[in-house]
Amino acid sequence: MSPTKNVLNYSYYPGCSLHASGKEYDESARGLFKALKIGLQEVPDWFCCGATPAHNVDELLSLALCAKNLELADAVEGDLAVACAACFSRLKTTQHKLGENEVKRKQVEQAIDAKVSLDKPVKHLLEILARDFGLENLQKSVKKPLSGLKIATYYGCLLTRPPDVPQLDCTEAPTIMERVLETTGAETVAWSHRLECCGANFTLSRPGVVLKLTGDILASAKRAGADCLVVACPLCHGNLDIRQKEIEEATGEEYHMPVFYITQLLALACGVPPGKLGFNSMIVNPTPLLKEKNLI
Amino acid sequence: MKNIKNTKMELSQETMNVGFIKKVEALSGSSVRRCFQCGKCSAGCPMRSFMDHPPNRIVRLIQLGQWERVLAGRSIWYCASCETCSTRCPNKVDLAAIMDALRKLSWDADGPSKESYVQLANKLFINNIKQYGRQYEMRLAAVFNVKSGQFLKDLMLGPKLLSKGKLKMFHSKNKNLAEIEKIFNRIEEMRKNGDAP
Repeated sequence: MSPTKNVLNYSYYPGCSLHASGKEYDESARGLFKALKIGLQEVPDWFCCGATPAHNVDELLSLALCAKNLELADAVEGDLAVACAACFSRLKTTQHKLGENEVKRKQVEQAIDAKVSLDKPVKHLLEILARDFGLENLQKSVKKPLSGLKIATYYGCLLTRPPDVPQLDCTEAPTIMERVLETTGAETVAWSHRLECCGANFTLSRPGVVLKLTGDILASAKRAGADCLVVACPLCHGNLDIRQKEIEEATGEEYHMPVFYITQLLALACGVPPGKLGFNSMIVNPTPLLKEKNLI
Repeated sequence: MKNIKNTKMELSQETMNVGFIKKVEALSGSSVRRCFQCGKCSAGCPMRSFMDHPPNRIVRLIQLGQWERVLAGRSIWYCASCETCSTRCPNKVDLAAIMDALRKLSWDADGPSKESYVQLANKLFINNIKQYGRQYEMRLAAVFNVKSGQFLKDLMLGPKLLSKGKLKMFHSKNKNLAEIEKIFNRIEEMRKNGDAP
């Protein structure tokens, strides 16, 4: 019998994108965690972590914003669960830098007018699933195996790099996404562009850059025979899904390759109803593929 | 600033700005001098084809004190902060942090570089945080288009995203907004007093 009380409880920092362009990531993460009886409580009135633009030109601001968010998170019980790879990277970087550099820590403390608290572990959802909840338990929770689905797992930049900061997995040859997805019976393909950059926030300022980089990524996934891509970052998702039609127009290649958030597929496998997983919000329609594989 | 790109580089005590090397090292917390030009950073850089100087050459130019060439180029604004260079450097030169430092120096000098779109996007993103506490993608994109004069950019994406419920028309008020403004003000104050870079 499954326990009625939550086994694990986390405070939750969704980040800006998960309330807008990445809302299916938020919906499916909540659905999955509920199905697995893992508690998620959103940090009230969190604010933007500053993402890349802040640290690009103003490191102190970036560190101060994250330190303030960490302070807010302290009020909610449980390690801090983060879904967005960029928020995850910024919060971890802040803990790392302020932990080792006293000058910067004092500046940040002056900026936020409080002591910085670096003790709460910041964890990406993947880490919670693979380590805290455990792959064996995850496998036991699978109700509808995703057998027959060939997945290209896309890590992008910030889940694994730089070496000392996220400490999620190996920087050059991570396997955490593969290990998590293979518990569902899905097949993951070996491909070349798992760790290449998608162009990230150049989507606003220089979309041409994004089209070139994501074009290469999609071509590589197609060559490897993947049915779909799986990501764990709303920016990677936006660039690969929302801009896929433009990529097809620019390169003359046809992909029609659905880009799933990892939580969408895991939740589907764990029996969360497909209607609650935001499949309709995706620009590249995943329904034909899921129907073909008898998954919906 | 005259177009430095096409001028010949001459190295002498007068043209090499050693203070610049120290400034970059202090801001980034990374050594610049440890680089021995193996080129791994450029080999792995996804953005190198968009840059005028590849990453390893940027480091060499800093070593030679050629700050005008570095800041006038567009390379620093085309770095995606993907951290591949810092991950692979055999000498632990944190090039991603050095790029942050260079952008800050350029930013503070009011951007001698011509790469204005990236700078504009950064500015609007940071303004959004100050004003609303969070990012609202539609506002960010709309204001960017107006300010950059590209009114038709991504015109077809807006309605598509709206119909998928991916753009928020209205946003909730953040209770910590006053707190955010205070952080911005304190940082400004610290900089005025010389307490922060």
